[in-house]
Amino acid sequence: MELIQQIRDKARSLLEEGTVEGVIGYERASDGVTARPFFAYKPSVTERLIFDETCAHNLVKYLLDKKGKKMAVVVKPCDSRAINLLLNEGQIERDKVFIIGVGCPGMVETSWNYKSETLQAKCRSCQLSKPLVYDFLAGGELERQAEEETYSDIAQAEAESLATRREFWLEQFSRCIRCYACRQVCPGCYCPVCFAERLEPLWVGIRIAPEENELWQTIRTFHLAGRCIGCNECERVCPVDIPLSLLNRKLEKDVKELFAFQAGLDADEPPPFATFKKEEKLEFGE
Amino acid sequence: MNLFASKDNLIRWLDSLLAERIVIAPVRGQEQTVFQPISKVEEIAFDFDNTTLSPKGWFLPPTETLFSVQRDDGRVELVPTLVEQDAVLFGLHPCDAKGIALMDKPFLQDPGDALYRERRTRTALIGLACRQALPECFCTSMGSAPDDPSNVDILLTEVEDGYIVQVVTEKGKALLPQGLVEYKGKVPPPPKPQAVLIKEVISAMGELFNDPYWEQLGDRCLHCNICAYVCPTCYCFDMRDYSDKGKVERVRSWESCQSRGFSLTAGGYDPRTTKGERLRQRFYHKLLYFPEQFQDVACVGCGRCVRDCPVNIDIREVISDLQQVMEAKSGS
Amino acid sequence: MGRESPFIPYLATLKTATQLTPDIKLLSVELEDPDIRARFDYKPGQFALLSAFGEGEAPFGIVSLPLRKDGLEFAVRRIGTVTRALQELEPGDTLGVRGPFGNYFPLGDYQGKNIIIIGGGIGMAPLRPVINRILERRDNYGELLIINGARTPQDLVFQPEFPIWMEAPRTRLELTVDRGDEQWKGRVALVPDVVKELAPSPDNAIAIICGPPIMIRFTLAGLRDLGFKDNQIVTTLEAKMKCGLGKCARCNIGEKYVCQDGPVFTLEQISQFLEQP
Repeated sequence: MELIQQIRDKARSLLEEGTVEGVIGYERASDGVTARPFFAYKPSVTERLIFDETCAHNLVKYLLDKKGKKMAVVVKPCDSRAINLLLNEGQIERDKVFIIGVGCPGMVETSWNYKSETLQAKCRSCQLSKPLVYDFLAGGELERQAEEETYSDIAQAEAESLATRREFWLEQFSRCIRCYACRQVCPGCYCPVCFAERLEPLWVGIRIAPEENELWQTIRTFHLAGRCIGCNECERVCPVDIPLSLLNRKLEKDVKELFAFQAGLDADEPPPFATFKKEEKLEFGE
Repeated sequence: MNLFASKDNLIRWLDSLLAERIVIAPVRGQEQTVFQPISKVEEIAFDFDNTTLSPKGWFLPPTETLFSVQRDDGRVELVPTLVEQDAVLFGLHPCDAKGIALMDKPFLQDPGDALYRERRTRTALIGLACRQALPECFCTSMGSAPDDPSNVDILLTEVEDGYIVQVVTEKGKALLPQGLVEYKGKVPPPPKPQAVLIKEVISAMGELFNDPYWEQLGDRCLHCNICAYVCPTCYCFDMRDYSDKGKVERVRSWESCQSRGFSLTAGGYDPRTTKGERLRQRFYHKLLYFPEQFQDVACVGCGRCVRDCPVNIDIREVISDLQQVMEAKSGS
Repeated sequence: MGRESPFIPYLATLKTATQLTPDIKLLSVELEDPDIRARFDYKPGQFALLSAFGEGEAPFGIVSLPLRKDGLEFAVRRIGTVTRALQELEPGDTLGVRGPFGNYFPLGDYQGKNIIIIGGGIGMAPLRPVINRILERRDNYGELLIINGARTPQDLVFQPEFPIWMEAPRTRLELTVDRGDEQWKGRVALVPDVVKELAPSPDNAIAIICGPPIMIRFTLAGLRDLGFKDNQIVTTLEAKMKCGLGKCARCNIGEKYVCQDGPVFTLEQISQFLEQP
């Protein structure tokens, strides 16, 4: 309760003082069990703000809808990597965001009207005790007992033959209905016109079919290479349970190995695909 | 008169139907149950509660070819897609059956969509009454009920050792197997979904159009297409030509009013530019415009959008919020 | 399948393509099937969906007059993939036509009235058959004032018809451009300013406007200032239209479907829409 009260008090004073126009946080969802994003514009409604193990949503994406306005946002450690990413890419201005950071106990698997006891996979390997960037830390640091991210499931998949892997993924993609929830929730997907909506050139048609879906998913994954901050929101919101984290973590693993880089840890570190280092040998055929 | 089919009767009946028609039924995949054509009756999941997607995809597939363009020595010929086989859509709940009946209104209205009409005529609907109401269900507030037979050809209700078979239409009667006996037992009472008060809200929606409520609700909307795609009655679509290796097809695919370019004209003008305006369109189309055109609300209370919206935009809550907004307005 | 699907286009052949402005071409097409050609009846205001096979379809106002039998004419402005493909067709090529769709200008109701036609750029296209119909039955209508505006002199649409319009009795053609060039000796002014300058009287008059949204907005205000009532002002709405049949719901604006209830609306009708276009 102490943590939640700190969030509410901070939100109220920010609004009362006019420091921000709005506070983006969490409130209880209509099922009475899970959480949902909540936009507070008046001090009186800040009592609705909550924070618990159902608050999985990455609220940072909403800052892109509020450009030009000073907003406060409740940020977990994983979400703070999105802040760093968007700062690095010039999508948000640091002085337009008041970050209410929280030390996070880990989020549990949830679905409508249901809250499990199981920690989400991304949380099991999270070692961050507090956000990487914040203006106010509610509740203080929270030491985590985290497993190490070994990418063992990725390595296991990599050991399969190409044919097996292709069959697996086509089967997964056959369920995709191109709702684009994965794209809409992702802080790294903010192109004004997504490549999937372009007609000239035509990258992906309007057909909702396995091969086209495969094109959609793989191109999006590559657009996030070196940029995905691992919030796993894409997989959480997918209505047909496509294991998108396998794709994104595969490229995260590759980028780590090739460039010793992970997105969102440092707002000032130049991203690998926009940098060239003399030490990188480039010989054709290598 | 109600008939009775044991589980065995039912399996054999479905087997015989499968021999000469396509049978679309609920099939359990990894963690999800979806309607799809089956090759064996064993594939059917008889004990599901609600499917991921509604069965509307049989009549309006996520993607379909309307016609293909053949070019032969400079002569162009348009070859329409034909419906080849009769079909049975098995196991749909009354809410989903109502969804199909609602979709009939725009699609069969003159000039009727010939492909939709053909498929509809050649598909029989065998419905399954609901055993329980899920927390997100509210069909009884939207003109349906867990045991409503009105929009199917046959309605099955599960009982102790089989199913009650209620024949609703002549089309259903023609499908019945031989040898079903009369059912003399009790009909189990249907479950009771939660109630949502909707009547007054719809009549007041005209005055609530410009209320700031919509922009506030729109704040958290992601503008994905989940609600529209899982919905049994949403039917907006896009049409474009698909051209690959000389083959040209006119393709129709699902689209939704929530996507950014939905109402964007070629000249660059868009009447709905804000998030709240786009979100509002879906509610107004379902709750006001569709009823004005077709005298029925385009929501069947299946609860899928409630279950699947990643940010919990809950149509039942929206309706009760609008009630409060309405009362506040008339009070002041 | 038996019954003809309204989604299947009629096949048509491109007869001629005339460059009207740098980005607008006038396409004249002839429906291939003589029965369909005989049955294809339409009135000014209605539109058709033209298919460039391989790209898709787009809506275009029908700018010809049915009795003239010059074929169906469409003014196509090059702005996207379908319009580019249509402009790249050569005479003799096949395209698709679906239609006619929508409502039409109730010209019968305008008889005896003074008509003011105000068009901006490609907006002149759906107004051209209205002008030509009025000129065909000149005595049935009062004074005719045509205000035709464009960005530059090259972008004025239907220049070959200007002499005919100017010669017609009790008809005035006023041209204007946003920006002139060395040869241009005419008026350089925005269309709403020209309306203000010419100050047509609202007595027994109907004003029909079509053009870019911003031009329409200011022209409407100007006409209202001159005393025009909302039921004296008529426009044709542009919307994203795909099926033309009231099924795909893209042109749904408020409770109306532009492809069925429109595209022709009076300002009075539009101001009653729940959602403003």
